[in-house]
Amino acid sequence: MDGGKDIDPVPARPDEAQDPSRIGVDDWVASHEGRRDRGEGLLAEIRTELERVPRPAFFAGFGVAAALLPLFTSNDYIVRVGFDTLLYMLLALGLNIVVGYAGLLDLGYVAFYGFGAYGYAMLASPKFGLHWDTLAIIPVVVVATAILGFLVALPSRRLLGDYLAIVTLFFGQLFVTVYQNGNRISFLGLTRSYDLTGGPNGIPDVDNYDLGGLHIGSVRGYYYVALIIFLLVLGCVYLVDLSRTGRAWKSLREDPLAAELMGIPVKRLKLIAFACGAGIAGLTGTLFAGLNTAVFSANFDVATLIIVYAILILGGAGSLGGVILGALVVNVSLEVLRTPGHATWIFYVVLAATLIAKVRPWKRLAVLLVATIGLGYAAHAIVSSAWPRGVEGSASVGGWFGDGLNGWELHPSNPRFIGNLAFVALVFAVLLLTMIDGWKRLAALVPTLYLASFVWENRLVVEPSITRLILIGVILIVLMNARPQGLLGTSRVEIV
Amino acid sequence: MNWNLFVTELVAGITHGSVYALIALGFSMVYGILKLLNFAHGDIYMIGSFIGYGLIVVFGGATHLHVNVVLLLTLMFLCAMLGGGLVGVMVERFAYRRLRNAPRIAPLITALGVSFFLENGAQLVLGAQFQSYDSFSWSNTAIASRHFTLPAHANVSYAQVIVVVGAIVLMVALTLFVQRTQTGKAMRATAFDREAAAMMGIDVDRVIVVAFFIGSALAGAAGVFNGIAYQQVWPYMGFQAGLFAFTAAVVGGIGNLPGAVLGGLLIGLAESFATGYLSSTFQQAIVFALLIVVMLVRPSGLLGSAAVQKV
Amino acid sequence: MVTRVGLVALVGALAVVAAGCGSSSKSGTTTAASGGGACSSTVSLGMLAPITGPAGSIGSDQLHWAQFFVSNWNADSANSPKLKLVQGDTQLDPAKASTVAQSFASNKAIVGVIGPAGSDEVEATTPIFVKAGLATASGSATRVSLTAGKWKGYFFRDVPNDGVQGPTDAEYMTSTLKVAKGDTVMVVDDQESYSTGLADIVGKELKDKGVTVDRESISQKATDFASLIAKVSASTKVVFLPFQLASQAQLFAQQLKAQGKTAVVFGSDGTFDSSKFNANGSYISFFAPDVTTLAAAKDTVTAFNKQFPGGTSPFGAPNYVLAQAYAEAISSVCKDGNDPTRDNVRAALAKVDLSDTLLGTPISFTANGDVAGAKFHIFKIENGKYVTLQ
Repeated sequence: MDGGKDIDPVPARPDEAQDPSRIGVDDWVASHEGRRDRGEGLLAEIRTELERVPRPAFFAGFGVAAALLPLFTSNDYIVRVGFDTLLYMLLALGLNIVVGYAGLLDLGYVAFYGFGAYGYAMLASPKFGLHWDTLAIIPVVVVATAILGFLVALPSRRLLGDYLAIVTLFFGQLFVTVYQNGNRISFLGLTRSYDLTGGPNGIPDVDNYDLGGLHIGSVRGYYYVALIIFLLVLGCVYLVDLSRTGRAWKSLREDPLAAELMGIPVKRLKLIAFACGAGIAGLTGTLFAGLNTAVFSANFDVATLIIVYAILILGGAGSLGGVILGALVVNVSLEVLRTPGHATWIFYVVLAATLIAKVRPWKRLAVLLVATIGLGYAAHAIVSSAWPRGVEGSASVGGWFGDGLNGWELHPSNPRFIGNLAFVALVFAVLLLTMIDGWKRLAALVPTLYLASFVWENRLVVEPSITRLILIGVILIVLMNARPQGLLGTSRVEIV
Repeated sequence: MNWNLFVTELVAGITHGSVYALIALGFSMVYGILKLLNFAHGDIYMIGSFIGYGLIVVFGGATHLHVNVVLLLTLMFLCAMLGGGLVGVMVERFAYRRLRNAPRIAPLITALGVSFFLENGAQLVLGAQFQSYDSFSWSNTAIASRHFTLPAHANVSYAQVIVVVGAIVLMVALTLFVQRTQTGKAMRATAFDREAAAMMGIDVDRVIVVAFFIGSALAGAAGVFNGIAYQQVWPYMGFQAGLFAFTAAVVGGIGNLPGAVLGGLLIGLAESFATGYLSSTFQQAIVFALLIVVMLVRPSGLLGSAAVQKV
Repeated sequence: MVTRVGLVALVGALAVVAAGCGSSSKSGTTTAASGGGACSSTVSLGMLAPITGPAGSIGSDQLHWAQFFVSNWNADSANSPKLKLVQGDTQLDPAKASTVAQSFASNKAIVGVIGPAGSDEVEATTPIFVKAGLATASGSATRVSLTAGKWKGYFFRDVPNDGVQGPTDAEYMTSTLKVAKGDTVMVVDDQESYSTGLADIVGKELKDKGVTVDRESISQKATDFASLIAKVSASTKVVFLPFQLASQAQLFAQQLKAQGKTAVVFGSDGTFDSSKFNANGSYISFFAPDVTTLAAAKDTVTAFNKQFPGGTSPFGAPNYVLAQAYAEAISSVCKDGNDPTRDNVRAALAKVDLSDTLLGTPISFTANGDVAGAKFHIFKIENGKYVTLQ
């Protein structure tokens, strides 16, 4: 583009925001040519050393840490959350093949998850009187789901990009409708109505896993089974990643036309990618059905799809470590944020951490904190003398921190209306903050922080179930803006 | 031949299809330029609907309205469109702008984050309850109750007529804007090739902001239409609508505005006729099966042109 | 900018915080080593409801009613011990419900659970509660099979099941509304488990009496009923709507009238909400008399609406009554001189007998957990008001 000038394609600090003038270069290419420029400092050295460690060692390390988790806690809830996270990791792993490796947007993915779960339920429950052995059911269901994925992909071969996405979405919704109303399926009203899926009542009383005589009945048992299955599938996917098929998928993702010209069987690869992803989803479905001992259609709708996508893309599509990290971040956050006490701690810790990270010279930070605290006490004093009902409530946490908050923050006795107004005002204030700079930003930050604390204490923490979803939304927005390629993803340039 | 059934289904399908078409139009505009799947679009539709409802409350509530119905409707539309447009512009500025050059799935997740934020923020501030426009009982003119009677004894309410006519007016206005004005031309150019447009001196940022504003304004208007005809307003109404908008936009052909309208109408009519003549239980399944067939027969959408693949 | 290692470090820090919170919260409110509360301090109740998501209007209403009772109970200094409500959002998803149920089961401070709302969720969560020894009481799960006996002593509900409502409604239609053999009744369900169960029962009862039943179904997410209403024929006397959302029944009735159909709408207890469903000429069946006719209840309702505006769903008030039942059970345990544990709260709940409740009926439970003496009242809407007919 610039004649013969030798352009250094990688900036000195690889983690800077994407420079739009770097057209046609991405991390993957640069790293493979070994031209990555290491940054300076301790963090960069640590990163260099970490990158020397081979991937399988990381996965093994993760496996060991995860295996030790149930031994350190007697709380079954934590193990249950771990199990749910493993299920999400498995789903994201399967989706990773379709989206991350082959670059196909599959919006009907959870239908395969449902197919696996319903398949297991139909073969191991009183519904049709079948009680097959688990070791027989799992291969049957996985293969059946893979074939289904193949069939769904078959007519969609010709479709590109978003058109493929929409057709997979249609298939997904079609399946949901069938699961939801599968207790009255009749062929155009001509035959009697059949009950296949139990409709909204689902299929209850599904058998637990029974692996060749070893009955898995408890949450901990399922956790270990899920962990073992996850590690096995992870290993397989990793090996496929390194193989010819994996490379072929990646070239299909980067540029389908060029791949086809290079002789890569693009259509066949698409079908295989779908089939593999579907198979993994089917496997995960059987695990789900085994633990929950009941299958309902509500689980296999767009809401679950959204979480799986969020996990995959947040972690970095195409990256196996990203799948693990993404699932941990999203699912654990969702669970931890349920409890108001935890959520408050996390809120203040994250706020403090962001301030420490972003407000650079220590003097500025100190001034900021002193000003905010001062403003708080002043406001508290003014309001408590002028309008006593403004400070009648109490903070949401106990202990020394809560006592401090009580004296600093305003707690009206009926906070609903004011809290709502303050929430809207806070949104505008935060948006405004991103638009100004310098000392003006610092000055505006002081009342904004106080307002944020006010809204948190009076409105958000009172409704933890709603707040948790608002916070997840904010986390997604902020993280994707900060790092569009995902936490552990590599930045790519997409040819649109 | 039961003409009453046929005509009623036709009217119902066209009305519902017009609402879908409006939402799909706004979605398609942004999609055509940025290739961005804006899943928060449905939530802007929800916000527009709530703004319209808020105006009804301000003017006395459905049964004690003390303004003229034409004035009320005009105000509702203007405020909802303005409000929706502003929210859309803010969302673009703060959530999507930095991701212009990122791979397309990144803004997808950001859009989901915005959607979570808007839906649950609305529940926090406005409550989870269903609210109703109650246009069947408006004291100035009960536009959903008063009706014309077509041949075959089918009734068409004023509200339905307002929705269809209003949607046509907005679509025509949009077409004129896109075809006849400078900004419209700039938008078409940017949709065609963003880099080339930038090189030709078009302010791409401004064009994108205008596209978001107009698209979101249309969604806001669709929210008011929905309220007038179908009454119900609640924080999670945008989710389903956003899904249909995406469907209609893609089925009609990516970035193709008349295609989005056609897609919306097709979905509305398919839903009606499937319910009326086939099975109400499996209405959704039938509609989706039909759409799958459409997509397989025409892989680039109804009015889409086969994408020229640049080597 | 955000670095990879920095992010991993942040996640690690969050995990540490979470673990730290996790271990400290367990020792939060409980003093008894065996779990449960102490009569001298606060006792926790868990609440499962679909607070956000598509059923958010129902779940948040249920939560608010229970919170309203708890705050009133705590405000009265004569009441002891004080109560605390721990909420868990299920989004009407049985799998999420079982995860939250697990968290309640592992939370030693919780001695009883209110909820969950859906019959599917009950099926998914009750095994977990049985294993943990927790009582669970639902204010809206109406599937008949839930009280068949396998969860005796653990599962309770203070709303009558479909097996009572279905026959009552069918009987009323044929006897009083004069639906005869050869007439048509359209039964529309909203594809949720509450609805389909009731619709099936009513449909069967009517068919047995020789009435032609036109069985339709529309997704709860649908906003337009015009296409379905077009199918209502001239011989259709009644349209039975076992909907969970009163506003949908209202829209259906209004569109029915707008299309000039003569059929009358008959709603089930899910549609009993005078602020939302008030189309004249419609009928509703409900398990309690009209609370607005009871003076004491009226004050409570007014106070509730002041604190939580807009909450009027029929499945809300039963949760207030459930909280009341738990409060009675716990305070009777304390009066006997014991600290509340899961076992004795469960036993006390089974014996609870409230003679005067917000629902206007006395509440006590049968051996299998159903509400004793359940019967349904039929209302008609005239001039926008509910008039009791039966």
